[in-house]
Amino acid sequence: MTQFEELQQAIIDGKAPVAKELTEKMLKEGVRPSEFFPKAIIPAMDEVGRRMRECEFFIPEVLIAARAARASSDILRPLLVGDEAVTSAGTVVCGTVKGDLHDIGKNIVAMMLESAGFKIVDLGVDVTPEKIVDAVRQNHANIVALSALLTTTMVNMKSVVEALTAAGLRDKVKIMVGGAPVTDAWAHSIGADGYGKDAPAAVELARQLVAA
Amino acid sequence: MPQKPQHRVILRPVQTELTAPAGTALRDLLFAQGVEFPCGGQGRCRGCRVHVLEGTASVNDAQRERLSAEEIAAGWRLACQCSLEEDLVIELRQWDAAILVDETPFAFQPRPGLGVAVDLGTTTLVAQLLDLRTSHVLAVRTALNSQARFGADVMSRVRFAVAEGGAPQLGDLIRQQIGSLIDQLVFSAQVPEREITDVVVVGNTVMHHLFCGLDVEPLSRYPFESEQLGLRAFRGRDFGWKLSGEARVLFLPCLGGFVGSDTLAGILATNLSEREDLNGLVDLGTNGEIVIGSRQRLLCASTAAGPAFEGARISMGMRAATGAISEVKVEDHAIRCHVLGNVPPQGLCGSGLVDAVAAGLELGRIQPSGRFTDGAGAWELAAPVVLTQNDIRELQLAKGAIAAGIRILLDRFGAKPSDLRKLYLAGAFGNYINRASAQRIGLINFPAEKVEAAGNTALLGAKLALFRPEGEDGSFARLRHQIEHVALNADQSFQETFVEEMAFPQTHMPNLKGRLV
Repeated sequence: MTQFEELQQAIIDGKAPVAKELTEKMLKEGVRPSEFFPKAIIPAMDEVGRRMRECEFFIPEVLIAARAARASSDILRPLLVGDEAVTSAGTVVCGTVKGDLHDIGKNIVAMMLESAGFKIVDLGVDVTPEKIVDAVRQNHANIVALSALLTTTMVNMKSVVEALTAAGLRDKVKIMVGGAPVTDAWAHSIGADGYGKDAPAAVELARQLVAA
Repeated sequence: MPQKPQHRVILRPVQTELTAPAGTALRDLLFAQGVEFPCGGQGRCRGCRVHVLEGTASVNDAQRERLSAEEIAAGWRLACQCSLEEDLVIELRQWDAAILVDETPFAFQPRPGLGVAVDLGTTTLVAQLLDLRTSHVLAVRTALNSQARFGADVMSRVRFAVAEGGAPQLGDLIRQQIGSLIDQLVFSAQVPEREITDVVVVGNTVMHHLFCGLDVEPLSRYPFESEQLGLRAFRGRDFGWKLSGEARVLFLPCLGGFVGSDTLAGILATNLSEREDLNGLVDLGTNGEIVIGSRQRLLCASTAAGPAFEGARISMGMRAATGAISEVKVEDHAIRCHVLGNVPPQGLCGSGLVDAVAAGLELGRIQPSGRFTDGAGAWELAAPVVLTQNDIRELQLAKGAIAAGIRILLDRFGAKPSDLRKLYLAGAFGNYINRASAQRIGLINFPAEKVEAAGNTALLGAKLALFRPEGEDGSFARLRHQIEHVALNADQSFQETFVEEMAFPQTHMPNLKGRLV
């Protein structure tokens, strides 16, 4: 097994201390920081996404795997600043909409996107449209990812779309939505650009939206 | 004007025959037959699916999103999305609901007159007529909550009330329905309605607000706190009920968040507020309510467990009705299923689901992570009923929410499960769930001997309230002062605890004995 494969396995198994240790060791041995994402972190999280899709992994396994990925990427990010060889997949502003406190699903999507090479600006839960507009402006975001778990709060996704339009930012960002009560039809009806039915779907969608 | 053609609909297995004009929504037709629409008939869930055996019903996008191509080809439709185009023969998946009626004897102070106690549940209503001189139950009536066509859970009702201005309609529906239940009680007991002096209603905060005509908007968003939780007093004349105009109608006060007077009634019924030692009360519903404490201090909370315990969102889930696998036991390294009504198995109800997963853990077929050991997608319990990987995931979400709520409240007392004297399980599900299985899956992680089925504590508490003398702490001020509501969604540790509690315990149980009924 190569070291990259070992690191992949540590992430899939959710072993954060092992992932951290391996990353540090490999860096010391001269592996370039830019190699970790394409060779270990992204493929590992794609595998986690596949297992989640196939019901092999559930929320706890996905979360611990994402934490292990983060243990590695936290070491790498400062080293990657200004590295010409690395291009970020894009910047995503994410949050759970106003009135809603559910953050597990949003966190999983954020961590999976992060592991897929996106820069994440996570605004947390109960986020107002104004806060999202500000974050999009400040971070020159490519994508806004919104989550809602309640039928009473999903209407606030529409307020975000409207606020971005009013701020003149609508044509600068793509908007993706998700959460248990959300559907593809709902995404269309509020003028969002896409709906992700689960975290792996959200990653795929984000890749498509940035490429479009 | 030309008459619309009439079409005939035959419902199986009940063999009911209906006639209605072309274009009638199946939702209206079937709701009158007791079929429930969990998402409010918006095509967002699969709860109302029906099997069209003869005739055709059109498929639209909402159905294509919720049903597989195979299901559609086999004639499955979402009733909420179809209207009557021709004669139909339909097989229903849901029929009949098992409802728990309380007959527990209790101590009381005799009073003149008659009283009515009403447990106003999100799903079901139970009303009892009592002779206040003797505490005897003279009549009882149950019904499905008539608001249910606008959604199965409280949030769907709140959404309808807030986003579609449906609050007056929901309020009228429920007040009329309770009025008609009272008519039926009076008719059945053959007593003069003017002798009814008191009506006590209990329900969760959303039911309380809709019944009393209060604004539910604060309950639609964080922090989910209403300012109008107090006791509400009306007179019989206020609702046009066929009672004496002077009869008192009380809706008991709520406790905070979604925790309503049904839980307050549960505390009255189990006497938790008077006990020196630590006790708990858990109602395992779509919204699980939890109370832990003693006379010094009581904490209450609610946690959204979802409808898995009621068999919803489970691939072959159904209510505890004829054809449901209600028990699964391990015998000689194999499972044995008990089917309600002695008919071939058709589905799995909440108690069967909990048993099946406990048995799977026991036999090593299911890992503590919830994954099937052999990596299969499903496990055949008794043909054609299977337990799928996704069913286990749904149960993990439900049990994780309840177990996390219990753990967080216990933590606030610095207590362990063994520190509780008793844990009372309220409601119908609490009555027939196997305690050993509930412990095995980590839902109620307490020794079986500490867990006691307490029946319909909401109804019993409402009856006790009928006998409380007027004037003496009539608004339950002292009791409400004793009880603190904990907003779990705002608790820092809730999400983490919830995720931890999604896994099943590793512990090995010797056997699966200890069924309650």
